[in-house]
This record gives sequence, structure tokens and C-alpha cells, in this order.
Amino acid sequence: MATAAASRLLRRALNPAVARRRFSTAAVAAETPPSPLPSATGEEEAGMVSMKGVRISGRPLYLDMQATTPVDPRVLDAMLPFYLSRFGNPHSRTHLYGWESESAVEAARASVAALVAADPKEIFFTSGATESNNISVKGLMRFHRARKHHVITTQTEHKCVLDSCRHLQQEGFEITYLPVRPDGLVDLGHLADAIRPDTGLVSVMAVNNEIGVVQPLEEIGRICREKGVVFHTDAAQALGKIPIDVEKMGIGLMSLSGHKIYGPKGVGALYVRRRPRVRIEPQMNGGGQERGIRSGTVPTPLVVGMGAACDIAMKEMNYDGRRISALQERLLNGIRAKLDGVVVNGSMEHRYPGNLNLSFAYVEGESLLMGLKEVAVSSGSACTSASLEPSYVLRALGVDEDMAHTSIRFGIGRFTTEAEIDKAIELTVGQVEKLREMSPLYEMVKEGIDIKSIQWAQH
Amino acid sequence: MASSAARAEVLSLLRSLLRTATKFSDYNIREYAKRRAIDGFRDNRGLTDPSSIAAAFADGKSQLEVAKRQAVVYSLYAPRIKSVMEAESP
Repeated sequence: MATAAASRLLRRALNPAVARRRFSTAAVAAETPPSPLPSATGEEEAGMVSMKGVRISGRPLYLDMQATTPVDPRVLDAMLPFYLSRFGNPHSRTHLYGWESESAVEAARASVAALVAADPKEIFFTSGATESNNISVKGLMRFHRARKHHVITTQTEHKCVLDSCRHLQQEGFEITYLPVRPDGLVDLGHLADAIRPDTGLVSVMAVNNEIGVVQPLEEIGRICREKGVVFHTDAAQALGKIPIDVEKMGIGLMSLSGHKIYGPKGVGALYVRRRPRVRIEPQMNGGGQERGIRSGTVPTPLVVGMGAACDIAMKEMNYDGRRISALQERLLNGIRAKLDGVVVNGSMEHRYPGNLNLSFAYVEGESLLMGLKEVAVSSGSACTSASLEPSYVLRALGVDEDMAHTSIRFGIGRFTTEAEIDKAIELTVGQVEKLREMSPLYEMVKEGIDIKSIQWAQH
Repeated sequence: MASSAARAEVLSLLRSLLRTATKFSDYNIREYAKRRAIDGFRDNRGLTDPSSIAAAFADGKSQLEVAKRQAVVYSLYAPRIKSVMEAESP
């Protein structure tokens, strides 16, 4: 039995006008602004950042574009609606959420295809270039295991390709790891000679992530087409930076990555040629999404981000390319003007300008990196820098151990400014000079002693 | 040839883009937005065909909308510590 008070309470609660008054603009304005993000770094006090025992006055300037790139604001703008209201699963066939999600995925697919002159039906979305490399190498060879037993690749490939090949070796396949010339390019004569009747795959990456060398894709594609072998290329670092045309380059399989072209991390794509058809065995089994090649819900926001990144890359390739070449020249000339004993690893002519790998003689690499706290660069590649071994890519180039240890990779990108390059030059030159000052080896060199002729005492 | 009214519109669009660019809290994005707007308008200065002028103008307007939204998003998540490039400049 409702008392008058209870019925009044009920009326108030159910009356939308009353409820609206509680959320009036005055009330909202009186709320405090959202609190700043919880600090992810160690401590942030008095404008200093302190993490892992390193104190710096601000966030370092970023020159490590080969490890990853910042997400372009235009890409983020394209992605956000799919995290907010358009959150549907693209494989839901029965409602608007699914339809709009699917149409966004197909539009992104067309964007990726346009950037490499392929047909959208030949593009499959994966979780990244590593997955695409795995599918290409293992998927192709396992499909043809009855008649093809041989794979050719190079010694400078990305770890995921080399590891997939090692895995195939355990299954009984034979792998030829081609050496490269000291400038990083693969020898086309050796490649043609290495191809056997039972070769199923040739895998050569387009742009090397450590030294930035661009392989002669058109020539390799021509050789493979003549001999009837599928040509796979890992184009993660090349997409959107050098023009790629799957027809002109005779590419059969290609791995693409989202986070190297100012897109989100966690997405990539695989190009699989349809004419003549390249057959592969899927490595992810499940509901048959992506034409059965790669099962699993396609992550719409990530895929939309990759599509937007490809659109932008297509429009900006020339502008970015010119700018980045000029910045690379500025960096190299700036460093060479003040320092001697600077060696560029890899060919200068066949190079993607945004990747500059330098070795500084008579300086130790780890100490150089530790001194360059305000510049975010890397030595060796991100994948291999946990161990103290010099990078296997530099070893394949024939670089001396001491020079390989002291290599620094500068990665220049769309958002790098001239001021950042100048500051990087200043910091690098300063640090190298400081270390050389302390180095007894350098003193000996200045006195004219040839280091290589020294007999170090045997212990 | 662009009429003076169209010219004023184009300049106003460039000014809006530059004003929005300064609102970005991230040093690299801010510099890129300023630079790209100026370079983009400079490269298109010689356009004479009215349909391509209209297309470029429409593209500029849509980029302005994107920039306005993203300037807000970036400021919502701005890190407390700025880039070393900003810490130094006066």
C-alpha cells in the first residue's frame, strides 16, 4: 500500500524532467576537469623523468622509426568511431553493426591493395608482418611438401623469417641462406644458381630494418618468374616508403605491417597472388574468416587504421620521401663535419633514406647509447638487442666485430624536424668525442700506430 | 584565376589550420601540422582549374575538421612531461 510520500518519491524518480535537472550544465561545469593520466614512468617530479636509473629533463626525441612509428592523428581519427559506437563484429551478418563494420574492413582492404597495385581479393589481414611471414614461409612450403623441398633466403632477413626456415628444417626441408655483398645487396648470380627444380620459395626482404638497404626486387622477381619459383618479400619497412608494384616486381607473397607506416600496432596484411594462383596452407584454423586463409575475428578498428595509414602514405609518399632524404643528408653531413672514423653500414645508393646505420670507430656501442639519453635510437635491431652479440645483419655484411658493436641506427620519419636532427648531431658528436677522449685505443691511433698490427698478450 | 572572395576564403582556411595546429600538445605533431599546411597551400598555389581548386579546398576543410578533433584528443591525454625539444626552447 503506497503512502503519499512513497508515491511522491516514485513520481520523482520516474519523472524525466526531474532527473534532467540533476544533470544540468551548472552541475557539470562545477565538476573538476579529468585528472591527468596516471604516471607510467618511474617518477615525474619537478619536470624530470626518472626511469631505470636514468634522469632526463623531458621525453627523448624519437629517432627510432624502424622499431615503430607514432600513430598519425588522421589514422587515430579514422579508428576512434570503431572503438566508440561502431563496435560491431564484421562477420555478423544480421544487423547494422556487422554490416557497417564489414564495409569499413572492405574499404580498408581496398586502400591497402591500392598502395601495392594489387586486387583487394589478394589482401588478407593478419596480426602483423611476423604472422604474415610465418604464413608465407611455412604455409606455402607445407602446402607443396610433396614436390617442393627447398627454400632460398638471405642471411639478413628478419628473425621471424629465419626462425620459420629453421623450423622447416626440422620438418625435413632444405634451406639455403644466401650471403650478401658487403653493401648489403644480394648477389643475383648466386641467387639464380641456387634455384633448384625442387625450390618452392625465394624470400628476400624489400628494405632491411637494420641497415635500410633496398634489394633489387624487380630483378629478383624476374629471375623467380623465369624459373617458376614463388617470390616472397617482407615489405614491412618498405610499404608506403618506396613504390611497390606486385606486377612489375613479380611478387607472389608479401608481408605488410601496420605500425611501420604510422598505423596501429597489432595489425598487418598478407598479399597472396591470384594469377597465377599461389596456394598456401592456413596456419590459424577456425571459422574460416579471410577466405579461410586466416581465421579469427578481423579487428575492425586496427584494420581501419591500417587502411587510413595506407591512404595517407599513398598521398604523402613523395613529400615525405623528399623531406626525409634531405634530413638524412643533414644528419650525415652534420656528423661527418665534426667527426672522422664514421662508417655507413650498407649501400648508400640503394638505401631507404629514413634509415641510417652508422658505426663510430674506437667507441664502444653500449656506452655510446647510455650517453645518448635524450635521443631515442637503437643499436642493432629491437628484436636482437637483448643479447650482447653484435647484430647478425652486420656480421653478414662482413663488418668487423668492434665496428659492429658500435653501430647506431638513426630512424627518420614523417614527423621528424630539422631541430631534432640538429640536436641529435650535437648530442652524438659530443658523446663520441667524450668517449674517444677517454679511449687509449684512440690515443694510439692518433700517434699513428696501426691497431691491427698490435699483438695483444695471450692470457 | 581565383576571385578575391575565393582568395580570402583560402587564406582564412590556412589561418584556421595554423591556429588549430598550435593547439596540439605534442611537439612533433604540432610542427608537422604547421609545416604540412604551409607546404600544401604553397604547392597548390598554381592551380587554375576551378574543379581542382574546389577539390583541394574541400580536402583542406576536411583536414581542418580532423585536426580540430585530434587537437582535443591529444590534449586530453597529454603526458605531464614535455619533449626535450620543448624543455629547452624559450
